[in-house]
Amino acid sequence: MSAPFPSDLLVILRHGSHGTNWLREGLDAALVAAAFGRGVSLLFMGEGVTALLRDQQVGPLGQKGTSATLEMLAMYDIETLLVEEAALERFGLTAADLMLPVRLLSAEAIAAQPGAHRLVLTF
Amino acid sequence: MRYAILLLGAPYSCQASHSALRFARALVDRGHRLETVFFYHDGVHNAARLAAPPQDEPHLVDAWVALSTEHGTALQVCIAAALRRGLLDAREAARHGKQGHSVEAPFELTGLGQLVDLGLSCDRLVTFGP
Amino acid sequence: MLLHILNRSPATSRVYQQALVSMAPEDRLLLIEDGVQGALPQLVRYFDGLQGRLFALREDLVARGLEGRCEASVQVVDVDGFVALTEEAERTVSWY
Repeated sequence: MSAPFPSDLLVILRHGSHGTNWLREGLDAALVAAAFGRGVSLLFMGEGVTALLRDQQVGPLGQKGTSATLEMLAMYDIETLLVEEAALERFGLTAADLMLPVRLLSAEAIAAQPGAHRLVLTF
Repeated sequence: MRYAILLLGAPYSCQASHSALRFARALVDRGHRLETVFFYHDGVHNAARLAAPPQDEPHLVDAWVALSTEHGTALQVCIAAALRRGLLDAREAARHGKQGHSVEAPFELTGLGQLVDLGLSCDRLVTFGP
Repeated sequence: MLLHILNRSPATSRVYQQALVSMAPEDRLLLIEDGVQGALPQLVRYFDGLQGRLFALREDLVARGLEGRCEASVQVVDVDGFVALTEEAERTVSWY
C-alpha cells in the first residue's frame, strides 16, 4: 500500500442543481459522513462544476436548490473542494465565478484521487 | 470477502436492478458474503411492496426478498430518499398520518450514515446506477 | 489498482470521458449494460490506451446481440468474472 489515505470518502458530483436530485443526494451523503466524523473530499466533475456558481436561486415552486447546503460545508469541516479544471473551462468559467474556494485539478491530478480515498461514491 | 451493493436505479426504468441482482447472486456463489444492499436515490423504488409486474417479467421486489431470506442480506433503504418518493413503512405511515404503507420487512428504512459505515467497513462496495 | 465500471455507451454519452480521466495507469475498466457497445470495433477507439485493461460483460453483449462483434482486444468476462475483477481490485468506482 502507498501513502496514507488523506481522506475516508471521495464524493464525486457530476450534476448541477435543479435539473436532477443527484447533487442534493450526493451532498447529503457527504454531510452525513462528515457528521459522523469521516474525512470527506468533494470532486466536482463535468456539469457538476456549475453546482458552485454564485447567484443561484430557489426554483419557481420553491425548490430549494443546493446553494444553502454548499454554504454549510465548512461547518461540517468539508474543506477539500476539488474541481475539474477542464470542465470549468468547457463552461467558460473560472474559479472567480464560484461561491467557495476550490482547488483546480488537472486530468493527471484527478486520476490520482479515487486511489487516494478509502471509499468513492459517484453521483 | 464482505460485500455491499449500492443501488441507485429504479426498477423497470433501467437495468441497474437486474445487474445488481445478477452480481449479488454471483458473488454469493463464489463464496463471498453479501452483508447489505443499500437503496438510495431512485433505487428506493425497489422496496415498493405494491409493485405488480406482469407475470412473464422478473419480479424484482420478490427477488430482493428471496436474496435476503436465503443469505441473510440486509435490505436497507435510505429513509430520506424513500419518504420523499412515497415509500413509507407502517411506522412512518402512521407518523405522517398516511393510510396504508408501501415498504415492509425485510426492507428497512434507515439513515444514510449506514451507507457510509458499510462502504468503509465492508471489503467491497459496488455501485449500480441508472 | 481500481476497477471502474461504465454502463453508458460512448456513442451516446460523455460519461466515458469522466471514467477515463479518473483512471490511474494501472486501473481497469469493465463495460456493462449499454456500456458494452464500447467493445464494438467502431467504438473501441474511445478506449485507446486501455489495451489489456478493458473488459466487457458477456451477458450484456449476448442480450444485445453483440457477442461475436467485439474487438478482439476487449476481454469478455461472464458475471463470475465480474466478481473476480472486483476481488482483484482494491475497490470499485461506478460511472453511469
